[in-house]
Amino acid sequence: MVFRQLFGLNAKRQRLLKKAPDGPLKDYLSVPFPESSTPVHHLDILSLDFETTGLNAKTDKLLSVGFIQMPELQIKLGTSFHQIITSNGALKADNVAIHQITDQEKAEGKPLAEVVETILKALAGKVMLVHYAKIEREFLKEACLKLYGMAPVIPIIDTLVIEKKRLDAKDIAYDPSQLRLANLRESYHLPGHYAHNALSDAIATAELFLAMIKQRESQHITLKHLLRS
Amino acid sequence: MENALTEIHAFVRVIPPFEHLSEDQLEQLLKAINICYVRAQQELPPEGEQGAKLYIVRKGALSYFQLPERVDHDHTDQEQQLLGKYGEGDLCTVFCYPEESKTIRVVCEEDCLLYSIDFALLKDIIVDLPQVKAFFQQSPAQRLSQVLDQANQNAILNSSLLNTNVSDFYHTPVATIESNATIQQAAITMTEQNFSCLVVVDAGKTAGIITDKDIRRRCVAQGLSIVAPVSEIMTRDITTLSSSQSAFDALMLMTSLNIHHLPVTHQGKLAGMVTITDLMRQEEQNAVNLTSLIHKADSIIELKKLSALLPKLQVKMAKLGASASQLGKTVSAITTAITIRLIALAEQKYGAAPVPYVWVAAGSQARQEQFAHSDQDNGLIISDQIQPEHEPWFANLATYVCDGLAQCGFVYCPGDIMATTKRWRQPQKRWRQYFNTWINTPDPKALLHCSIFFDLTAIYGDTRLLEDIRAKVLSQTKQSSLFIAHLSKNALQLKPPLGFFRDFVLIQDGKNKASLDLKHNGIAPIVDLARIYALSEGISAVNTRERLQKVAGTRAVTKASAKNLLDAFEFLSMLKMKHQAEQISQQQAPDNYLSPKSLSKLEREHLKDAFKVIKTLQESRQSVY
Repeated sequence: MVFRQLFGLNAKRQRLLKKAPDGPLKDYLSVPFPESSTPVHHLDILSLDFETTGLNAKTDKLLSVGFIQMPELQIKLGTSFHQIITSNGALKADNVAIHQITDQEKAEGKPLAEVVETILKALAGKVMLVHYAKIEREFLKEACLKLYGMAPVIPIIDTLVIEKKRLDAKDIAYDPSQLRLANLRESYHLPGHYAHNALSDAIATAELFLAMIKQRESQHITLKHLLRS
Repeated sequence: MENALTEIHAFVRVIPPFEHLSEDQLEQLLKAINICYVRAQQELPPEGEQGAKLYIVRKGALSYFQLPERVDHDHTDQEQQLLGKYGEGDLCTVFCYPEESKTIRVVCEEDCLLYSIDFALLKDIIVDLPQVKAFFQQSPAQRLSQVLDQANQNAILNSSLLNTNVSDFYHTPVATIESNATIQQAAITMTEQNFSCLVVVDAGKTAGIITDKDIRRRCVAQGLSIVAPVSEIMTRDITTLSSSQSAFDALMLMTSLNIHHLPVTHQGKLAGMVTITDLMRQEEQNAVNLTSLIHKADSIIELKKLSALLPKLQVKMAKLGASASQLGKTVSAITTAITIRLIALAEQKYGAAPVPYVWVAAGSQARQEQFAHSDQDNGLIISDQIQPEHEPWFANLATYVCDGLAQCGFVYCPGDIMATTKRWRQPQKRWRQYFNTWINTPDPKALLHCSIFFDLTAIYGDTRLLEDIRAKVLSQTKQSSLFIAHLSKNALQLKPPLGFFRDFVLIQDGKNKASLDLKHNGIAPIVDLARIYALSEGISAVNTRERLQKVAGTRAVTKASAKNLLDAFEFLSMLKMKHQAEQISQQQAPDNYLSPKSLSKLEREHLKDAFKVIKTLQESRQSVY
C-alpha cells in the first residue's frame, strides 16, 4: 500500500510536471523524489515550519518561514533559513504576541513569490519534515495555486503522525496535548526550545525526528515506513 | 543573529573558550555546527562521521575510558578505567586529535544530542585568537600555567594600589643635591641618608635625577672621576607624576619606563619621591604592623584581640589579589609571632628554662602554608641534659602556650600532636629514636600519622636541637628506599577526583560527590609528593613550593613535572584562599569544601587540568615503587 502511495507520488509528480508552467514549480517537479526504499540514514530531509495568522490556509496569511537541511540524519546549522513574508494587512495583536513578529519586522520581509521559490528550490529532491503537516501542506498548496495556478505534490514526514501511530498501536488512552512539539520534545528528553519562531521550530522538529528514529531500530527504517499516509 | 539560533548562540557562547569569540566568529561557528543524536551505549564518533571533530554535549552524558595501549591477554577481564564524564555544555576534544582518540574510548552514557564541528573549520575560525587556539593545542599542564600567568597579572590590576593615592607613599622631603656637587658628594649623601636616588637642583629648580645605578654605570664603569660634577651623569629628562594620581599609575609608569624612582610633583612643584619598593611593600605593611603589635602584647587577652584580626587579614589579602604563597607565609609568620610571644610570657611566669630547648611547629605552619586559624601542631625538643625535676617546667610551658594558642583561635590538634602530649615533649635523643624507627623499620600505619613530623620548623629556642636531627634524618631518608616506598604508598591513597559531571564531583569509581574536598583531594596530594621528593633527595626545605623548586631536575622529578605541580598547587591554593575569604566575609567558619555549583565553568576546566597533573605524577610515583 505504502509503496504504491509513493509510486503514486512520483507518478503524480511526473503528471504534474507535464502541465506545470515554466518556473519554480516546474523546476521543483523535475527533480525525482527519493526512492521509497531509501534507508532513513541516507535520506535528504528538509525540516520546515511556517508561522501563520491562523489555521485556515484560504483566509489566513503566511507570516514567516523557517527551514533547515538534514542530510544523513545530521542537522546542518549552516543551511538554516528564516524569512518573514510581506503582507498588506496589519497584524492582529494576538498573533504578534504568539509569533513575536512586529509590523516593523514584517515590513522588512520579502514577497510571498520570492519566499515560495526559495522553499521549492530547497525542497527539490528531498522529503519535507514537519510537525503536524496540515498547516505547511495547506499553506504551501494555497501559495502555489495563487502563484502558479497549480498545487504541488510533496513527500512529507510528520513527527506528530509518527508518534500518534506509536501511541495508537499501544492501545492506551492518551492526552492529545502530549503530541504537541514542546511536550514531545520533553518526553524524548530534548532540551527546551524557543517556540513560535519558524526556524526554531524547524530545528526542534528535526531534533525530535532524530530522537524518534534513533530510539527505534533505525537501520531497518526506510522512507516508506515514514511517509504520511 | 536569527531569532531561532539565539538559544544555540546563548548556549555556545558561554562555553570556555568560546567566550573570547567575536559575534562574527560565533556566527561562523554556529554555521559550522551539525546536530546529531547518539543513543546511549553507543560510541563516538557517530556512524558516518569522519575526520577531526569537536563535539559539544547539548543534552546527555559521555563517559571516557582508557583504552589499553596494547591488548594484554592477562587483563582482558579487567574493568576499563573511567577517565571522566561529561555533560551538558562540556566539550569533547578527544576527536580533535587523532593520537588522543586512539587511547580513549568515548561512550554515550545517556542518549546524547551533540553539536559536531569540523575541527579544520574551527581552526580557521579561531586563527586570530591565540587564547582560544591555545585551549585546543595545549596540554592540561600548559593550560594551567597560562591561567596562573593571567592570575598574576590580575593580582597587579586588582591591587589596592588602584585605590590608593600616590601621596600616601612618597618620601618627603626629597633628598636633593646641587648640580655642581661632585659625584662623590652625591654618593656620600645617598649613603648617609640611606637613599638610592637624589634629585639634582640648580638654583632651586629641578635639573635632573641621579641614582646609585648612574654612579655605577656612568661613572665607575666609564672610569669618570668621582670629583666630576653630578650634572655630568644625572638623567636630565625626568619623568614626574602628579600627587593626585594613584599609586597604580605610578607603578605602571615605572614598569613601562623600567625605572625605580619617580619624583612626585604637587601643583607643579617637587613634592616627594616614590620608589618601586615602597609600592611593593604596601601589601605587606598590614602584616608587618600586626607582627610588631604582637611583639608588644603583654597578655593573652591582648594576643587574642590581635589574633582575631587574622581572618580579616586573610580576606583583605585575598581581595587584594595576593598569591596563596604570600598569604601562607604571612599567616604562618603571624602565628609564629603569637607563639613566640606566648613562650616569652610563659618564661616570664615560670622563670627561665632550666635547660636549652626548641619549640617546633609541624604541618602547615612549618611549611608556611597556613591559612587563617588552622589546628595547632607543635612539639618540644629538649636538650639531653634535662633532669627529671625539670620536667614540670616544660609541662607548664607546653600547657601555657597550647592553651594560649587555643584561646587565640588555633584549635587543639585532634590527633594530640602538641607539646602538651608527653610523647611530643621529649629530649633530643628520644626524638632521634622516633625518627630512627620511622625511617629504618617503617610501618605504613605508623607512617600515616607521623608524616607531619617530616615538616618541622623551629619556632623559638635553640634551633640546633632541631637542625641536628634534621641533618641526620635527611641523610637516612635519602638512602632508605623502603621508607620512601611506604611513604609513597600512603601518599597515593589520596587521589584527586576525575573531574566534574554536571553539578557533582566525579571520583575514581565513577560515583558522584556533592562537594570537592580541596585539601584531601588536591592540595594534600601535592604536599605529600613534594615531601617524598625532598626526603628522597635529602633536601631540607619544608615549604612545598621551595621543595618543588629544589627537587626540580633531580632524579626524583623532572623540571617540567615540578613546574606543573607548582602551578597546580598554586591554583588549588588560590581557590582555597578565595573560598575561605568568601566564607569569612559571610561570618562562616572557613573550610576546604567547594560546591561545584559555586565554581565557574572555567574554574572547573582549570581544576580538571590540575587534577590531571596530580594524577600523572602520582601514577609515575606508583610505577617507581
